[in-house]
Amino acid sequence: MKKTSEAEMLQGTLDMLILKTLVMGPAHGHTIAQVIEHTSEDVLQVEQGSLYPALHRLEDRGWLSSSWGASENNRKAKFYKLTAAGKKQLTVETHRWNQIARAIGLVMGER
Amino acid sequence: MSLLRFFRRRRRDEEIRREIEQHLVLEQELNLARGLNPADANRLARIKFGSRQKVREQMWSSNSIVSLERILRDLRYALRTLRRSPGYTLMAVLTLALGIGANTAIFTVINGILLRPLPYADPAQIVHLQQKAARVGPDPIDFSVQEVAEYRQQSRAFSELAEYHSMTFTLLGTKVPERVVTGVVSANYFPVLGVKPVLGRLITPADETLTAPPVLVLSYAYWVKEFGADPKVLGRAFEMNDRVHTVIGVLAPIPEYPDANDVYMPTTSCPFRSDPQMIANRDARMLTILARLKPGFSPAQAQNDLTTIHHRLALAYPKSYPAAAGIAIEVNPVQHELTHAARPTFLMLLGAAGLVLLLACANLANLALSRQLRRARETAVRLASGASTWDIFRQTIVESMVVALAGGIVGLVIAAAGSKLLVAYAARMTPLSGEIHLDGRVLLFGLVVALVTGILFGTFPAIVAARSKLGILAGSAEKTAGSETGTRTRDTLVAVQVAFSFVLLVCAGLMMRSLYNLLSVDPGFKTANVLSMNISLNWTKYGELTKQNTFFHQILDRTQQIPGTESVAMSSSVPLNGDHGGMNGGVLIEGRPLRSGEIMPQVIHQLITPDYFRVLGMPLLSGRTFTDADARDTGAVAIINAQMAKHYWPDQNPIGRRIATDSRGTRWTTIVGVVSNVRQYGLDKSFDDVVYFPQAQVAFMGAPHLMVRTHNDPMRITNQVVSIVQQIDPQQPVSEIRTLDQLRSAQLGTPRVTSALLGIFAAVALFITVVGVTGTLGLSVSRRTKEIGIRIALGATRREILLNVLRRGMAPVLVGIVVGAVAAVFSTRLLASMLFAVQPDDRPTLFAIASLLGLVALVGCVIPGRRATRIDPIAALRAE
Repeated sequence: MKKTSEAEMLQGTLDMLILKTLVMGPAHGHTIAQVIEHTSEDVLQVEQGSLYPALHRLEDRGWLSSSWGASENNRKAKFYKLTAAGKKQLTVETHRWNQIARAIGLVMGER
Repeated sequence: MSLLRFFRRRRRDEEIRREIEQHLVLEQELNLARGLNPADANRLARIKFGSRQKVREQMWSSNSIVSLERILRDLRYALRTLRRSPGYTLMAVLTLALGIGANTAIFTVINGILLRPLPYADPAQIVHLQQKAARVGPDPIDFSVQEVAEYRQQSRAFSELAEYHSMTFTLLGTKVPERVVTGVVSANYFPVLGVKPVLGRLITPADETLTAPPVLVLSYAYWVKEFGADPKVLGRAFEMNDRVHTVIGVLAPIPEYPDANDVYMPTTSCPFRSDPQMIANRDARMLTILARLKPGFSPAQAQNDLTTIHHRLALAYPKSYPAAAGIAIEVNPVQHELTHAARPTFLMLLGAAGLVLLLACANLANLALSRQLRRARETAVRLASGASTWDIFRQTIVESMVVALAGGIVGLVIAAAGSKLLVAYAARMTPLSGEIHLDGRVLLFGLVVALVTGILFGTFPAIVAARSKLGILAGSAEKTAGSETGTRTRDTLVAVQVAFSFVLLVCAGLMMRSLYNLLSVDPGFKTANVLSMNISLNWTKYGELTKQNTFFHQILDRTQQIPGTESVAMSSSVPLNGDHGGMNGGVLIEGRPLRSGEIMPQVIHQLITPDYFRVLGMPLLSGRTFTDADARDTGAVAIINAQMAKHYWPDQNPIGRRIATDSRGTRWTTIVGVVSNVRQYGLDKSFDDVVYFPQAQVAFMGAPHLMVRTHNDPMRITNQVVSIVQQIDPQQPVSEIRTLDQLRSAQLGTPRVTSALLGIFAAVALFITVVGVTGTLGLSVSRRTKEIGIRIALGATRREILLNVLRRGMAPVLVGIVVGAVAAVFSTRLLASMLFAVQPDDRPTLFAIASLLGLVALVGCVIPGRRATRIDPIAALRAE
């Protein structure tokens, strides 16, 4: 049985969720996945195989920066931080998401 | 950006691995906290994450550039396979290195002398004007001062028109008296060429006046050689022609053209050129002209312009331009003059080297093909496990490219060394040899040749590899290893190789026959044990005949005393000495008055002392030689050569006849002897008419040469002779100390090197071809082992087997020879100008080369043929 069956991550939304999560402050990959899952009340399951490629992609685009630091269990971990460009991008994506969500709501007849 | 990522992808992979590792540890700790046991905590963490490998691969390929990745993989693969067969690799790289090296070395020369622009400003605009008397002789007759002035004033085609001549003067003021080759030039000579000084200034119009203090400009080479490139030479004073000359500048390095001048002086400093009689005499022609065309004027237009002026002059001064002489002006672009002698030779050598490289390519293609066929199984496995045919093709080509590039790099090293050796050789043909060195264009050429070579010999096996059949995996490798198409292509390769090397061999054969002909030319005199040296006279000191006579007598008498000396003489020229031609002049023959408009018969004039014929070993055919009794106040006498005797007195005895050297016949000279002919100017030249005059009766004008015949090595007495000359006159320089054997070798040098180079290329071509023939046939024999075994088992004799194999091997060879013969007949025409006494379509050479090639190929075929006869039928049949 697959938990994610009811909530296949909508394409392109993972990037947005990562950016949103990092507004709270720098975090490493594991924390990001945890936060997304908890905040969505475990509805959204981050497919971890795609988390790291997404992080690196965002970093290549300049929306995140990364550095190695000590994690909560005192191990070396790679922390990701939102850049100024990343914040701007988050605004764009949030706006777009709101539009799409509203549009889908209209189609589905929700008032 | 992406390229940066490409090269950092290994580091990023490591990073992501650590990141994932850390992620798993955290997840595991979380699971432990939930109360799971360590094993489950670990397992669940891993299950939750999914495939770590997949993530890493995904990241890797997103960081990668696929085509680059593939090529790098192919490169590594190629290096691995090549390392596995070092023998093949070494052979292939060396073959290519030699081929590419030879091509690049010759290209270096061509680049230096034919492709690079001349070191002048706008070189295409510079032309050399020559006045020739076509009906008198092929050599230019030069211009007189009057003519230069008129062409300069009247011609519209040139922006500048400069006069030039070169003479040798004595320069005093260095350690020893120095003979310097002096370019005597008008002030606009350097602007015409567009060259600049590296030091000081060049000659200006103010220097070219009779009242100006004499000045000198040094050539770059002389400045370096004589003064060690010392800038303090500016302002130094030297004595020349009894006047003090001051050095005002040093010229930039330029080609030794028109002559290898040491120094330059204005026309007003030359005692001959500034002589009022010389200036006034329209017929005293000693100058040549270099001019710069006005923009928009072609050499042909300039020629028309000059011809018009010439016709005007011919009408005004009919005596100076007799119609019978056929005087005309020629305009030659300097570019052409500097390069035309070397162009055909080096283009031919490049063609030959290119052919050798093509042959090497054919062999390597054959070799690579055999390798490919042996690896057919491996290729089939790779195809079966998902490689595309393009993958296989690309990988095979990359392997050839690696070999070719390695060959190219080693080849460039060979070229760098080889081109240095070629400089001296090129110097015999063009003054531009100083321009030869490696540059970017040469490197590019080497690289492109290497790449083209790689493609040439790599494509063929690559196609075969890509077409590999999977069927190989099912059956035995040997069955498919040499399909019929493979055999046919191999035979075609062999035929093409044979045809190419046939052409090369014929060219080399012709050059060698030509060289042999030159070597066997009898110059008409004995060159062994004769020393010659130039004793050019200071004109202000020895202008008078009596002074010359005294000086020469002293030298001759004292040199004769040196032990080991057989005979001694002075002469106005040395035979076979290309640098100084003899004096050409007219003679009037008694009893054969000139018709109106006819010019005097032209013959070579030579001044000698009595023992000249003894020194050279020239037999006297009739009459007598000169003696000491033929003095200034006795009757004028002359000796002619056999050629002249036959020419003017075909059925009579010329002894006692009289000739005169002036057209009015005021002073008659009696012929007292006839000597045999000698080749005066060169081994490949025909005999000329020569008249010899005794030095005691006629003053020397040219540069007198002292010649000594000795009993053994003539160089041993050099120092003694030089010190005798300097004891008599400490200011007298001695130069050009050479033996006649050296002069003869120098004449043979160029054809010798050309034949040697062509011969080496042809020998290499022959070797490569025979290796190809033997290898191809050998492969065919091993493929047919079973068939031959059956034939032997069925009763074929060894003889029949041998003949059968030889027939197969020789068929493509014979086709190649026929094709090559046709190609040779057309291509050897290009050699015609380089051959002496042999026709480019010389039948004996063609047949000899055909037999040689056929015979060597036959020997090459016998090796695999004998192996075929020794096949043991039982072993052959069991092998499968």
